[in-house]
Amino acid sequence: MRGRLPAGPRALAGAGAGLIAGALIGTLRTGQADPAPGVAELSAGGTGLLAWLLIGPALGIVLAGLVSRGPGTAPATAATGVLLGLLVWLTWSLTLVPLLAGEEPRWSAELAVQAYGELVAATMFGGLAAVILVALDAIVPAPPARPPEVQRERPRIVILGGGFAGVSAARRLESLAPRSSRWDVTLVSRTNYLLFTPMLAEVASGAIEAQHIGAPVRAACPRTRFVRGEALDVDLDQRCVRVGAGHRQLELAYDHLVLALGSEPTHRDLPGLAEHTLTLKSLADATAVRNHAIAQLEAANGEEDAEERRRLLTFVVIGGGFAGTELLAELRDLVAKIVRFFPDVRGEAMRYVLVHSRERILPEVSPSLADFALGRLRERGIEFRLGARVAGATERGLLLEGGESIDAGTVVWTAGNQASRVVQALPFEKGPAGAVKVDTTLRVPGRDEVWAIGDCAAIPADADSLHPPTAQHALREGAALADGIAAVLGGGQPRAFRFRSIGTLVALGHRTAVAELRGRRFAGFLAWLMWRGVYLGKLPGIEKKVRVLIDWIIDLAFPRDIVLAGMTEAPQRDAEVPAEAVP
Amino acid sequence: MTAASAAWRGARSRPAGVDAGRGALAGLVGGLAFGAAMFELGGMLPTIAGIVRSETPLAGFLVHMAVAAFVGAGFGVLVGRERIRAGEMVMWGATYGAFWWFLGALTLLPLLLGEPVLWTAEGARAGLPSLLGHLVYGVVTAVALALGLREGAPDPASPVSTAALARGVVAGMAAAAALLWILAASPALLANSGLAGGSRAILWLSGVATGGVSGAAYAALYPRPRGGGGPAMIRGLAYGVLWWVGTALTAVPLLAGEGLAWDLAAVRERTASLTGFALAGLVLVVLYRTQGALLGALFEDDPRSAEDEGAGTRVLRALGSGAAAGLAGGLLFTAVLVQVDGLPQIAGLAGARSSLVGLAVHLLIAVLIGASFAVLFRREIVDGASSLAWGLCYGAAWWFIGGLTLLPWLLGERAQWTAAGIDDGFPSLAAHLLYGAGLGIVLGALRLRSRAWWVSTTEARSERAQRQHEQLLSSVPALWAFVTLIALALPLLVAG
Repeated sequence: MRGRLPAGPRALAGAGAGLIAGALIGTLRTGQADPAPGVAELSAGGTGLLAWLLIGPALGIVLAGLVSRGPGTAPATAATGVLLGLLVWLTWSLTLVPLLAGEEPRWSAELAVQAYGELVAATMFGGLAAVILVALDAIVPAPPARPPEVQRERPRIVILGGGFAGVSAARRLESLAPRSSRWDVTLVSRTNYLLFTPMLAEVASGAIEAQHIGAPVRAACPRTRFVRGEALDVDLDQRCVRVGAGHRQLELAYDHLVLALGSEPTHRDLPGLAEHTLTLKSLADATAVRNHAIAQLEAANGEEDAEERRRLLTFVVIGGGFAGTELLAELRDLVAKIVRFFPDVRGEAMRYVLVHSRERILPEVSPSLADFALGRLRERGIEFRLGARVAGATERGLLLEGGESIDAGTVVWTAGNQASRVVQALPFEKGPAGAVKVDTTLRVPGRDEVWAIGDCAAIPADADSLHPPTAQHALREGAALADGIAAVLGGGQPRAFRFRSIGTLVALGHRTAVAELRGRRFAGFLAWLMWRGVYLGKLPGIEKKVRVLIDWIIDLAFPRDIVLAGMTEAPQRDAEVPAEAVP
Repeated sequence: MTAASAAWRGARSRPAGVDAGRGALAGLVGGLAFGAAMFELGGMLPTIAGIVRSETPLAGFLVHMAVAAFVGAGFGVLVGRERIRAGEMVMWGATYGAFWWFLGALTLLPLLLGEPVLWTAEGARAGLPSLLGHLVYGVVTAVALALGLREGAPDPASPVSTAALARGVVAGMAAAAALLWILAASPALLANSGLAGGSRAILWLSGVATGGVSGAAYAALYPRPRGGGGPAMIRGLAYGVLWWVGTALTAVPLLAGEGLAWDLAAVRERTASLTGFALAGLVLVVLYRTQGALLGALFEDDPRSAEDEGAGTRVLRALGSGAAAGLAGGLLFTAVLVQVDGLPQIAGLAGARSSLVGLAVHLLIAVLIGASFAVLFRREIVDGASSLAWGLCYGAAWWFIGGLTLLPWLLGERAQWTAAGIDDGFPSLAAHLLYGAGLGIVLGALRLRSRAWWVSTTEARSERAQRQHEQLLSSVPALWAFVTLIALALPLLVAG
């Protein structure tokens, strides 16, 4: 494939062809002067011959760079030569020559007619140079094909985790070796897609179809070997990872291991939480939350007991961070938009409660923005139980420390995550939530071949703080890690990871959001537009962007869907109620 | 391997002597057509006879036929490796004929007569009948070589079907009706078209009938042309120009008893139909392909389409790179516009006169055309040469579509199809060609470095090589040269 300036013998052949053609055309033009301004002085006679001798080789090299060499290419080469001549005439005779002669180029038909001789000369030159180039190609043997590369042992890099950090690292490694497979990179992930977590709450509220916020890992990292499976354990001595992939187990040897396994919800051993609460970490979780909320409305619609109906229509989210706040706001939107389908509960007061252990929600943003969010959500009827700690959960609802209980049909836990079981089992020093402590180069101290990034890594930002476990950090950590591995494999040293957060965006439902970008604060509709614009732009893949955009447009124009796809089981209580006789 | 494809492959291994012999015979057929035209025109044969120090027309004719056979032999050798299909040959023939006008009539003939080469506008204008004769010679030689003197069934392409012919007739008639409607709406254009001899009824009847014939001929020449919509559009443009030569300059004046309208004055009187025929050819091809695509989508089950990545992804992928390339080309165009003070005119499209508005509108148009280029030519850009060439062709096509037709029409004026309009529009042609070159080169640089994620580098390279091979075996290179040279040479000859 050609398209760049050639080198070596090919360039020489091009220059030779251009020189011969230039000499011939220049000689034929000797004594002929076009009456166009400047052309007479610069393009004819001895000056013209000199110009052709100078320009000819350069144009020949360009021609050789444009065309391909091989059997059957002569006509295309000739046609390209003619077109090149035409361009030369346009740029040289009609543009540069008038400029050099101190005149303004006008590209008028009159001037073109005056410079017609140069047009014929230039196109003839192009055709002639092409013919000579083809002839030279036929005479000069083509350089021997490059011998196939000797297969050598390639450094093996195993990345555990297909989230933002892991995929970012794999993509960066691919871009560092775009044309060859310098490294043998394997990525292991439980899911075959990269989950775009910022839009998870919208999936839970039915605004976006679930699979639209997942980008296939195979598409994101096409030259990385992908294994859909779960890392079971790591043998640090043997430098080997055991992976469960369906019905089989694999052992993946590595020279460099990247831990990017993210985090998973932890219920902190509180009684009943694992059994009676939902979580929001995956597409399945988000779909389950949506289905559960709709199922509660279905159940409440036929419920005659007012207290039970109120319980069913109570939605509780535990955790006032990003995930919890966005989820409850979206859940409220979902219920508000679909309640029209449930005539018996249409007039009922829904109850939404956010339970948070601290005194302020959204600790990731400035207090003023957190206050704005709190006020706006309160206006929409959301209750906040700030400073409240969860004691447990039952099938009737949530228990708080101090003995208080909240009867609720829906309880979602977003208040705690911890590093995965595999990471926890590794004999490394741990930071908050069981994350592996690494140095600023993202390597585990004392283990130069083990790296950790993303939620499962405790990465020092400075002496007192760690980089937060957010997507924007994970993406940069992945890229920095890949650079670090490449540096090590190249015999160098990895650089320290440095990144300052660009900002924070939190959606509050119903066309409201808060945003803080490089210290500038935004709230309300403008922030909501920013949220959608930024995250749509960040969503991987054009196709997914289009699908999500269409989802949003549909959501503007139509009510949310209440189809409970995948939920085939009717509530248990329905089965216990004797069927009524059909009149 | 089918018998047809085996025969086609066999043609590639034929000795060059056989190709030369067949080319010489075809050249004699083409020479007869050109010779007949020279008899009709008069004055050309004695000039040729001067090569053998004679002045008689017969001597000139014999020399002409000898040269025709020699040049035809060269054509046979040159295209011996290409697809021997009438449609492909027509473009090769036309380009070959034009090339020999430059080489023979303007260069070698004067040298053989002991005179300096005729590389001047005056020389070219005087030689205009010779250029048209060379075009006729090239086309007739090519068709003769493809249809009459080939061996067996050398091309694996499927034969033309009745349905395809019907589609061609419909497309041709519709294109002709559109052309006639534009001409009839403007007395000035009609008067400068060379078609205004008889009554309106006769004009419409004969025009639409001719359009039907041209459509059927197109279907017969290109039953299943390879390549996407973009190359087909460019081919349509060239096809329209050839029909202009055959109809407005040849058949109509001959039928009217006026003789061939090949001299400069006669061509100038018929300039208005040049752009019209070019655009009608383009419309013909678009309609023909649209019908085929529609029928294919409705009634054909092509399982290969299921393996495609989908039009949405393809188009979106192309749109981004095309828009960027269009912007780059648009900036080159801007340099010309600023120099000739053309921005206020462009601003007129938005109802303004400000240069800044003109620049914004111009760049928007450049981006849109760039995006359309990427969509239409995304499969055809296989190397630097094809990027540049298709870009130039597309730029030239948009000079006909936009510069001479749409822009004046949108500004409330009539299409600038007359000699004076073409004369005024020459800076625009230069700008369109520069735009096309920039567009093609930038898009090539972007596209040649990108590929679908599931295609390996080796596969992408192999696919491009295959497409390049297909292009080289078809008439694509001839099309590049023909369209660009016609776009540049004819306005130069008729303007000023």
